[in-house]
Amino acid sequence: MRTQVINLFGYIGRTFITFLQDLSSLYFLFKETVHQSFVLLGDRKKRKQARLLEQVDEAGTQSLSLVITVAALLGIAMTVLISFQLRDVGGYNYIPGFVALAIFREMGPLITGLIVAGRVGAAFTARIGTMKVSEEILALETMAISPVRFLVVQRFIGLVLSLPALTMLAGFTAVFGGFLFGSTRLGIRPDTYVRETLEVLTFTDIYSGMVKSVVFAVIIVMIGCYRGLVVEGGAEDVGRSTMLSVVSSTLTIIIFDTVMTTAFYG
Amino acid sequence: MINAHNIKKTYSGHIVLNGADFTAERKKITYIFGTSGGGKSTLLKILIGALKPDSGKVWYGDADITKLENRELDPFRKKMGMLFQHGALLNSFTVGENVALPMREHTNLDDSIIRIMVKMKLELVGLRDFEDLYPRQLSGGMQKRVALARALALDPEVVFFDEPTSGLDPIVASVITKLIKDLNRLLGITCIVVTHAVDEAMRIADKIVILYMGKVLAVGTPKEIRESTNQLVQQFITGSPDGPISFHASSKDFREDLMVE
Repeated sequence: MRTQVINLFGYIGRTFITFLQDLSSLYFLFKETVHQSFVLLGDRKKRKQARLLEQVDEAGTQSLSLVITVAALLGIAMTVLISFQLRDVGGYNYIPGFVALAIFREMGPLITGLIVAGRVGAAFTARIGTMKVSEEILALETMAISPVRFLVVQRFIGLVLSLPALTMLAGFTAVFGGFLFGSTRLGIRPDTYVRETLEVLTFTDIYSGMVKSVVFAVIIVMIGCYRGLVVEGGAEDVGRSTMLSVVSSTLTIIIFDTVMTTAFYG
Repeated sequence: MINAHNIKKTYSGHIVLNGADFTAERKKITYIFGTSGGGKSTLLKILIGALKPDSGKVWYGDADITKLENRELDPFRKKMGMLFQHGALLNSFTVGENVALPMREHTNLDDSIIRIMVKMKLELVGLRDFEDLYPRQLSGGMQKRVALARALALDPEVVFFDEPTSGLDPIVASVITKLIKDLNRLLGITCIVVTHAVDEAMRIADKIVILYMGKVLAVGTPKEIRESTNQLVQQFITGSPDGPISFHASSKDFREDLMVE
């Protein structure tokens, strides 16, 4: 029994130390990435070489159909759910405002962030991890090319640009989904729906969602690339790292979301 | 030109290098041999600054590169080229882009000039027509030749080769060996080659270093090595299964290991 307790403490201690090590490595990676991003953005030739649009395409455009579909369904589902609560008190007119606020402040950024973490963050880890295994990263280093500059920076810029745009589109799509359901099935007049939405929604709601999505983009890129860069060994470790990347970025996004929602509206 | 002194390196309790010394003279071909797992690749990684030794120093000219942190190594790395065992070409880039990469990154040359340089480097390894293919569309031997073209992109002073001929057919292997010789004789590039291929080394090396159990067993010209009276050295160059070097890498007694409690 006693040894088991000691083992348990040992396990917790080791996990905690690994966590702190990861955290400090992530901090340095982030610092280097931000620094190199400014260097890249200031250099026309390097900017051209970095193929930033390709990154925006890979992370943003290619996630579009998935994000739009999920957002539309989410908008409808939220409208359905809230209508049950408001039916008996005759409060259907509150639906547009509620859905718009919930989407722009909370659900839009969160759902988009989680989808992109699963789709794009995992791809970052798998791709960079595979490059690590095949010694491509070591080759870059021996050519005096910084792997951070070469692999992380354009992904960072690409996602920081495309995730807010995706989030914005997801927000409008979800509200539109709610509008369609509300006006066709719940009998809310379309002009009332639009008026109610615009009355409740302020610039701050949209703005706070954008701030969240930028933070989520940073989380996804940093964890995704970091997990790829620390791959050791073979295919098994690439798989494990990809799984860890999705799990930890998902969890981190939810933690930051809660903190930011509390800070903005608590 | 490159001097390594008393290099020690341990991987999770397993001693790989135990006080190895190494010297490579300018404009010479130096071969490093050793048994598999004998620390050759580790020594190579330490020489190019990709790995820090636990102790010991590596001098590149007057500078101790083991003291330098990542970006401080860059000026030295631009003078070195490295041919990796499996090529390590970037798979998402074409052959031409791979060879152009160091030039794009480290020079201000115009794109049209870089294109001409890429053709010249690829011609050197006999693959000028393959510029637009991706590495996965090439055979292993061709990938290695492209990787060599990339290693030569910045006209390095010294090129490191990690098992340049392993896994290649005899013809391609001798083409690569000839390339190494030409690079050295014609362009004056210092070559440091890690290999198992004894014949190849005996043919073109200026100096041979034999690593055994993490230490240097013998150093000398091919002639000196061939005439060595050391039994270990003889076993290396003849590749005989019988001799002082055991095929078994385990240190525990076999009979003891089989005793089940």
